[in-house]
Amino acid sequence: MASEIELLDVQAGYGRAAPVLRGLTVEVPAGTIVCLVGPNGAGKSTVLKVASGLLAPRSGTIRVGGVEVTGQGPQRMLASGVAHVLQGHSVFAEMTVAENVLLGAYTIKDKARVAARTEFVRDLFPVVAERWDTLAGLLSGGQQKQVEFARSLMVDPKVVLLDEPSMGLDPKATSTVFEQVVRMRDAGTAVLLVEQNARRALETADIGCVLDLGRVHISGPAADLLADPQLADLYLGGRPAEPRP
Amino acid sequence: MPSASERLLTPTRAAGGVALLAFAAVALAYPSIAPNPYLLSVGIVVLNYAVLSTSWNFVGGFTGYISLGHGALAGLGAYGTGLLVTKAGLPSFVALAAAAVMVAVLAVPLGYAALRVRGASFVIVSIALVLVTLLVFQSWASFTGGSRGLNVPRPFPGLLRPEHHRVFFYLFLALLAVALLVWWLIDRSRFGLGLKAIREDEDKAEALGTPTFAYKLVVFVVSAFFTGLAGGLYALWFGDLDPIFQFSILTGSYMVLMALLGGVRNLFGPLVGALLVGSALEYFKVEFGNTPLHLVATGVLLALVVLFMPDGVLPALGALFRRFSPTTDSSIREVTAAELAAQRTGGDLHAQSRNG
Repeated sequence: MASEIELLDVQAGYGRAAPVLRGLTVEVPAGTIVCLVGPNGAGKSTVLKVASGLLAPRSGTIRVGGVEVTGQGPQRMLASGVAHVLQGHSVFAEMTVAENVLLGAYTIKDKARVAARTEFVRDLFPVVAERWDTLAGLLSGGQQKQVEFARSLMVDPKVVLLDEPSMGLDPKATSTVFEQVVRMRDAGTAVLLVEQNARRALETADIGCVLDLGRVHISGPAADLLADPQLADLYLGGRPAEPRP
Repeated sequence: MPSASERLLTPTRAAGGVALLAFAAVALAYPSIAPNPYLLSVGIVVLNYAVLSTSWNFVGGFTGYISLGHGALAGLGAYGTGLLVTKAGLPSFVALAAAAVMVAVLAVPLGYAALRVRGASFVIVSIALVLVTLLVFQSWASFTGGSRGLNVPRPFPGLLRPEHHRVFFYLFLALLAVALLVWWLIDRSRFGLGLKAIREDEDKAEALGTPTFAYKLVVFVVSAFFTGLAGGLYALWFGDLDPIFQFSILTGSYMVLMALLGGVRNLFGPLVGALLVGSALEYFKVEFGNTPLHLVATGVLLALVVLFMPDGVLPALGALFRRFSPTTDSSIREVTAAELAAQRTGGDLHAQSRNG
């Protein structure tokens, strides 16, 4: 299966500090949800920053749809088909849901295409359609997250990067958000998901990757990882076994 | 999606429409019903404030950048018009248009430098603009008249003072209408959407592909153009310019106060603010003479607004109005896609799940 985004042997870090990612390789095949789990400090959010162009890698290769895009900034990455939904709430609180969603299509000049994408996301996210003229800041946390999802899909991206989408949400809202992540995948968009709620994320994902110390230690079908006792060890404070060959 | 008619016919919108029509009717009739020429001139001063504050609101309202330097742009418009009439011999209204264009052109390098910084830094840069222009126009006496001032010939020398006031009242009213129309058009445009995103979160807007710096610069130039026009029209009406008053930090401060008081995110916010503050300023000057009491009152007013109506008078009135209107949409309950689909088809899955 062709990969929508590939990060190959990537090293990256902040300033002159030691690298956070140390030879990380992750691929997101088309039509799949790939989930990155791991302890705090493993480098999960850094992977997404590198993938979206917010952080330039020190070495390694990034490809989107088979085309090399290493080192490009966020706007170029967006144009290449990579949309990033940031950690926490990133809606424009004093603007309506409609304005928030339309801002996602700001780089699209074709009005007919914008209208078509608008209808698409309104169908995909019923809450967005229901609250279309409401100020985004008045929505609940889960609803705001869906507005962010809808905004990210306006450019018809190849892959959406989701950073901790369940952060700060109650269980019901979390369920709704994960339900919508699956709908995004089913609608044809690949998803690279970073999540602290590892069990719930792996239940949702097709492929799981366990990160520690800036590289992938275990990867495979998410269902297999869920059944892996090493994963439980990791979240009980233990460390995973040596990387599998 | 609600239909266009449903969105247009909300009680708040209807009340706003009635208020607008009432204001337009009173404004058009004011020169005929004003008891004396002095009160007519007060009306002109208030309208001048309304145009200035609306012009300021192109930058402040759309982008959230607080400029205290717009007084300098108004002063440049006024002196530009006066100097083009007196030194270059241009007809008054040609000079007015030329001066406004010159202010807009000058705003390009000014904006290019000032809009690179945000927050308090931008405010300080804008204050510096006022101080520099004051110094130049005071010191360059051979060209500007310096502290002696500059007399600007009247455009209609044959008119008596009341008729002169009447004509300028309508000119200011027309300029206000044009400024409001342009603000309204921008507010509903893709350009306006990008500007409002800048106001909310500039970095986020940039990440979504908004050309933030270019947009800020364009709207700053538009704002400078209208501010220059207001300043130039004031010069033609008042006929006597003094750098101390034209390049005063107070002018920019009044613009900010009026816009904040009325509501910077509202088309008519600066107009409402100008009606309140402009009238109050004139009242204090008449009642208490040339004392700093009007400044104290202005400060108290600003404190009251910040404390009790941080979004301004119009949003506060709107919220009050909505409290007494039938509720249409207030729930933020988490709803799953399945529940919404059930609601849409007439089912009641939510109720079932609660009962079951």
